[in-house]
Amino acid sequence: MELTRRDFIKASAAAAAFAAVGVPVVRPKGVEAAEAGITWGKAPCRFCGVGCCVLVGVKGGKIVATKGDPAGPVNKGLNCIKGYFLSKALYGKDRLTKPLIRKGNRMVEASWDEALALIASKFKESIAAHGPDSVAMYGSGQWTVHEGYTASKLMKGGIGTNNLEPNARLCMASAVVAFMNTFGSDEPMGCYDDLDLGDTYILWGANMAEAHPVLFSRLIDNKLKHPKVRLIDIATRRTRTTKMADEYIAMRPHGDLAAVNSIIHVILRDKLYDESFIKQHVNFKRGKENAPYGLKDKEVFNETPADVKNLTFDEYKDLMKQFTPQWGEKLSGIPAKKIEELARIYSDKSRKVNSLWTMGVNQHSRGVWVNNLIYNLHLLTGKICKPGENPLSLTGQPSACGTAREVGTFAHRLPADMVVMNEAHRKKAAEIWGIDPNKIPAKVGLHTMEMFRAIDRNEVKCIWIQCTNPFQSLPNVSRIRKAAEARKAFIVVSDIYPTKSTEVANVILPSASWVEKEGVFGNTERRTQQWFKMIEPPGQAREDTWQMIEFAKRMGLGHLFPYSEKGFYKEMWEEYRKFTIGNGKDLAPYEAYAKVRGLRWPIKPDGRETRWRYTEADDSYVKKGEGIKFYKAPGNKVNIWFRPYEPPAESPDREYPFWYSTGRVLEHWHTGTMTGRVPELRRAVPGATIEMHPEDAKRLGIRNRDMVRITSRRGSIVLPAEVNGRGAPEKGSVFTTFFDETKLVNELCIDAFDPLSKEPDFKKCAVKVKKA
Amino acid sequence: MPVSGIVLTCGAGSADDVALRIAAIKGVEVHGVLPDGRIVAVVEADTVDGEVALVTELQEIEGVVSVQLAYHNFEDFEAERP
Repeated sequence: MELTRRDFIKASAAAAAFAAVGVPVVRPKGVEAAEAGITWGKAPCRFCGVGCCVLVGVKGGKIVATKGDPAGPVNKGLNCIKGYFLSKALYGKDRLTKPLIRKGNRMVEASWDEALALIASKFKESIAAHGPDSVAMYGSGQWTVHEGYTASKLMKGGIGTNNLEPNARLCMASAVVAFMNTFGSDEPMGCYDDLDLGDTYILWGANMAEAHPVLFSRLIDNKLKHPKVRLIDIATRRTRTTKMADEYIAMRPHGDLAAVNSIIHVILRDKLYDESFIKQHVNFKRGKENAPYGLKDKEVFNETPADVKNLTFDEYKDLMKQFTPQWGEKLSGIPAKKIEELARIYSDKSRKVNSLWTMGVNQHSRGVWVNNLIYNLHLLTGKICKPGENPLSLTGQPSACGTAREVGTFAHRLPADMVVMNEAHRKKAAEIWGIDPNKIPAKVGLHTMEMFRAIDRNEVKCIWIQCTNPFQSLPNVSRIRKAAEARKAFIVVSDIYPTKSTEVANVILPSASWVEKEGVFGNTERRTQQWFKMIEPPGQAREDTWQMIEFAKRMGLGHLFPYSEKGFYKEMWEEYRKFTIGNGKDLAPYEAYAKVRGLRWPIKPDGRETRWRYTEADDSYVKKGEGIKFYKAPGNKVNIWFRPYEPPAESPDREYPFWYSTGRVLEHWHTGTMTGRVPELRRAVPGATIEMHPEDAKRLGIRNRDMVRITSRRGSIVLPAEVNGRGAPEKGSVFTTFFDETKLVNELCIDAFDPLSKEPDFKKCAVKVKKA
Repeated sequence: MPVSGIVLTCGAGSADDVALRIAAIKGVEVHGVLPDGRIVAVVEADTVDGEVALVTELQEIEGVVSVQLAYHNFEDFEAERP
């Protein structure tokens, strides 16, 4: 039988799959010939925050193949189904390839020079008339490190406004604030190795099987190999994750705030805590309470040092006495007996316990508090900074950590844990940037929610949006869509496809994506990954850094970016790296990243990465004999916060009797601007549906696929019902996904946010449901 | 015509059943079932879109925990078929 080239490619496909599961196979002769002409390069995946390592095969200037990178420690040769979209996402027929300028109701083609000159003139006009705070930039956790760094230097060091935000405000801000107010430094102490080394995993409202499939597979591999491994899924909805869990514990929306407090109550009541760990490492604090929900424009709420009360351990124990398991059951729906059991699991000395969470905890009107409470569990029991037992906040975008958090593209931040409110930090930034320290304003800029409300209030006159789609994704989106449609601001959108945001833009700029440019991403576990440009962007599409720097030149700020064309990436990196050296966030020289599949910071003086922070076992900032040292926290002591229960901004009532929550599915990512380009897939997961509990559906006379009208105080949509589908919310709750651009499901969401993190709560509002 | 090498992780004790079921699906070749319940398969379809639809279908099969992608080649081989 004659073997075709196709047979060899199939053999190669099978061999790659066998290799990824650890079965060695010899690739038959002929495979190399069949793959001839393909050049392979490494890159991190373009999609979520897991940061899988991918090999990209290029032939004739086009991507023709992708592989899970066998040398990649994150995913060990396997990608999730989104791996299929890596190429598709770049080759959609409707790619933006030319700058477009609005002329009335039409968008007309323009040259780069025309478009950039127009943007610069509008920004200059606005700054001259209304000051630098009348302009803003809204970026992304999908920005590369270089893009975020360019934006930060341009806005904060050049234009002189802190009106710079990433869309990560919508997903990670609560985690960030809790890292800062607990440990004094952002990002986790642990890493993905904990998924392989632990034996107990408690998921707080995280559907890892769909949102972080590769990490979930690592967890399941651990479980298949080690019978002791236990996976507990605490959630408001049954999902694919539930199917693999040892136990599912149903919880009411917002119930985590009560449940964790009750678990802590039991740990304290029964003295299940680690007294010596607490004595050595922990302070107790009580913060500001009776917090608002951000529903009013310009509402101010901060927790200043004057608002914080120090507590003794005994005072803390007294305060926690009120949160009995029975009280916890009443508010969370988790049986008191189960709360007792969870306290015992968390404090079981024979178990290595990990907590995992993501949007359920972060997109929460008391998100910082719940993050704090989860840390309390680990700090009270001393289960932290040890291989295989850590709390781990999972991220959703490829560089939410690397760009939004490490570069610090938030309205209050500067690189490497520094903030604009701190004079010494501004001075340090100004010194590295070679500018007058007075140029960087001390005043915090507008956070995302206020930035877009300020458009409606005619206060922000110009906004440049890159690499994200706020006019689909923001809660109560109709308010800001109306403001944009009324042309209350001059809106520039840089993206790769038409979106709900380009729809309202005055100027649309075509961007280069992923391997059409060089870049660096930073993932959830502090891993920094670099890649080189492999293919040309289509048409006139250009990198976001190029767009910003060309704009800067037209604003008279070109001197801020003195890098050579050839050495651009390395030179900018080395400048950025100065921020990180010596403060526990150390990055490696640029060349180091070209050779490896990422390195986890802080990079040690000898160039090695750090897997576990704050422990002498691995972190070079901790001397031998010091054991665990929280060296970024004041006095080396971290905070256990007393955080009571406060109700959600809106709860179901007689008129609006259901909870409404929005989220992700496996096959689609975010607003679907990249994954929605696969028509077959759109058929497989046709569009947003509304998941309902079968008993609720029956009571309302709704059958599977019936059209259903869902109405909140802010808007109304019609969706097909999904009863007994892949996800099943608890009774009294409905769930839908936000990828479908034909259904603006976030229009229904309340624009309430966490008063500390300013992150909106997409997971809880009240709706009514009836057959359409 | 695109080709992928994929790995299916199956729930306890269900790998053999899943392997039988998916082997009957057009465009799916089962290459091996591992003792830990994972299946190595090769998937092909006329278009990448078709392939994604196929993999989405595999994911919905009872007993399948996850489908992961090891290798994906989407060069056009049509001209080279004998």
